[in-house]
Amino acid sequence: MTIRTRLSLWYAAVMFVALMVMGVLLYYQIIIEPREHARRHPERHHTEQAIEQDMFEDVTGIVMWCAVPAVLLSIGGGWWLMKKSLAPVASLTQAAEKISAYNLSERLPRTGNGDELDRLTEVFNGMLARLDDSFNRTREFTLHASHELKTPLTVLCGETETALRDESLSPAEHERVASLLDELRRLARIVDGLTLLAKADAGQVALKLEPVRLDELVRDNFADAQILAEPHGIQVELAACEEITVRGDRHRLRQLLLNLADNAVKYNQPQGRVTMSLRRNGDTAELTIANSGPGIPPEVLPRVFDRFYRGDSAHSPTVDGCGLGLSIVQWIVSAHNGTITITSEPSKLTTVTVRFPLLEVRQQMKKKNP
Amino acid sequence: MRVLVVEDEKKTASFVRKALQAEGFAVDVCHNGDDALAAARTTPFDGIVLDIMLPGRDGLSVLRQLRERKSTIPVLLLSARGEVNERVEGLNAGADDYLPKPFELAELVARVRALTRRSGENKSTVLRAADLTLDTVTHRAQRGGAEIELTAREYRLLEFLMRSPGRLCGRMMILEKVWDYDFDPGTNLVDVYIRRLREKIDANFEPKLLHTVRGAGYLLKEQP
Repeated sequence: MTIRTRLSLWYAAVMFVALMVMGVLLYYQIIIEPREHARRHPERHHTEQAIEQDMFEDVTGIVMWCAVPAVLLSIGGGWWLMKKSLAPVASLTQAAEKISAYNLSERLPRTGNGDELDRLTEVFNGMLARLDDSFNRTREFTLHASHELKTPLTVLCGETETALRDESLSPAEHERVASLLDELRRLARIVDGLTLLAKADAGQVALKLEPVRLDELVRDNFADAQILAEPHGIQVELAACEEITVRGDRHRLRQLLLNLADNAVKYNQPQGRVTMSLRRNGDTAELTIANSGPGIPPEVLPRVFDRFYRGDSAHSPTVDGCGLGLSIVQWIVSAHNGTITITSEPSKLTTVTVRFPLLEVRQQMKKKNP
Repeated sequence: MRVLVVEDEKKTASFVRKALQAEGFAVDVCHNGDDALAAARTTPFDGIVLDIMLPGRDGLSVLRQLRERKSTIPVLLLSARGEVNERVEGLNAGADDYLPKPFELAELVARVRALTRRSGENKSTVLRAADLTLDTVTHRAQRGGAEIELTAREYRLLEFLMRSPGRLCGRMMILEKVWDYDFDPGTNLVDVYIRRLREKIDANFEPKLLHTVRGAGYLLKEQP
C-alpha cells in the first residue's frame, strides 16, 4: 500500500468514526432526550429559550468531545504513520553514502510493503545491479586481457631469449636483442601487476593471514633498502623499530615494504636520506618511510595511487617502473584493514605513513607489563 | 636426462624444447594431458614440465593422476594464470616447483636442472670454487686465505650460487631461494647484491668467479 493511500485511509477512518459518534450522540441529545424528558416530567414547561440554551450547550459539548480526540488522533496517527513510512529513508541514505566501486554487490534493505519508498529502493537496487554488472564486465575484461597477453608474451620472451643465446650475433646486435628483452620483461611485469589488481578488485586473491612480526620484516627490509640506496649515495636509517605483531600475509607485507623502500630510494635526490620507523601508536602499528626527495606537487598527491598515473614526467625522467607499484601497495594495505597516507612538502620531506591494526593488543600489553 | 614437456602452445613448447636440448636434456613434447599421462606411463622420465592450462584434462589433474599412481617424478608447473594462490595449490597437489608465465628461459632451464639433480646436490659443509671456500656451518668465507666479511643475505646468496657451480641461476630463482619472495619486485635488488658480492670475492682476486649473463642471470664458475 502506498504512503498516500495509507494516510488518506487513516484520515478518512478518523473522520468517519468521529462523525458517526457525533451523529449518534446528537441524535440522542436532540431527539431522544427531550422526548424522554417530556414523558417523565409532563408537568414542567420549558420556555423555548431555555430549551435552545440547553441544546446549544449539549451540542457544543458533543462536538468538543468528538472533535478534540479526532484532531489528536489525526495528528498522532499521521505523525506515527509518516514516521514509520519514512524510516527507510534514513537507512537508504546511510546505505547510499557507503556505496563505492568496491561494494556494488551489496543491496539496500527492502521493507517489502510496496510503498513509494520500497519502490524507490527497488529502482535503486536495480541501478546498483546494472552498475555492478558493468564494473564486473570491466574487471573481467582486464583479467581476460591480461591472461590473453601472457601467452604471446611468453612466446616473445622465450624467442628473444633464444635469439640472445645465438653466439653468431655481433656485440651490437646482442645489445639490441638484450634491450628488446628488457622491455619485454617490463611489459610482462605490467601485465603481472594488472592481473593481480584485476583479481584483487574481483576479490579473487586470498591472503594467507597469520601472526607476523612486523619489526622483523622491517629490519630485513631496512638491510635491503641500504643496499639499494648505496649506489646513489643515499643514507638510510631506521629511527625506531618496536616489537610489533600484526595479522597479515608475510609475502604481501614484504612486497609492500620493498615497494615503499624502493620508491623512497628511486624518488630521491643524490646524497639524500631515507628514514624508516615502526612504532606502536594506540592500537595501531605505524610504519613511516620518509625521504628527502624532490617531493610531490600538491596537485599530484591525491592521484599517486591511481593506476599508471605518473604525475609530471619532468619530475622523474630517469625512473622506470611498471606504474602500478603504489596501486598494489594500496591494495595490500587495505587488504590488511590498514590505511596509507602520503604527505609531501615540495623540495623537503615526503612521508608515507602506513597504519595496521595491532594483533591482540591486550596480549601484547600483558607481555610488556606482566 | 630425459624430460617431458607438456604444453599446448606449439611455439612455447618448441623453444622450451630447444633450450632444454641445448643444455643436454633429451626432450619429449606432448600437447595435451591424456597424451602426457600415456607417455609418463611408458617412459621413465627424469622430470616433467607441465603447463596447467591444457585442452581437455588440465595440468593439475594430470599431476594428481601421476601422484595417485605413486609416481615421484619431479614436476615443474607452468601457468599463465599467475594467481598467487596457484603456487600453493600446485605444490599441494604434488608439484615440486612452479613458474608463472611469462617465464625466463634461463630460469626454466635452471629449475629443471635443479629438479632433476636434486638428489645429487652438493651436501658437503665446505663449498669450494677455485681458492674461494665457504663453510656452511660457521658461515665463514675465505678467498686466497683472506677472510671475507659477509652480511647474512650476502652469505645466503653466495651459498646458493656455490651450491650450483657452473650453472646459470635466473633472477627470479635467486629472489625465491635467497629472499623467499614469491613476487617479482621489479627492482634491481639482485643486481645490486651481486655487484657487492663481486666487490668482496672478485675485486682483488683472479680468476673472476661471478659472471653476469645479460638477460638471463648469474653464474659462478672458475673459467670465464
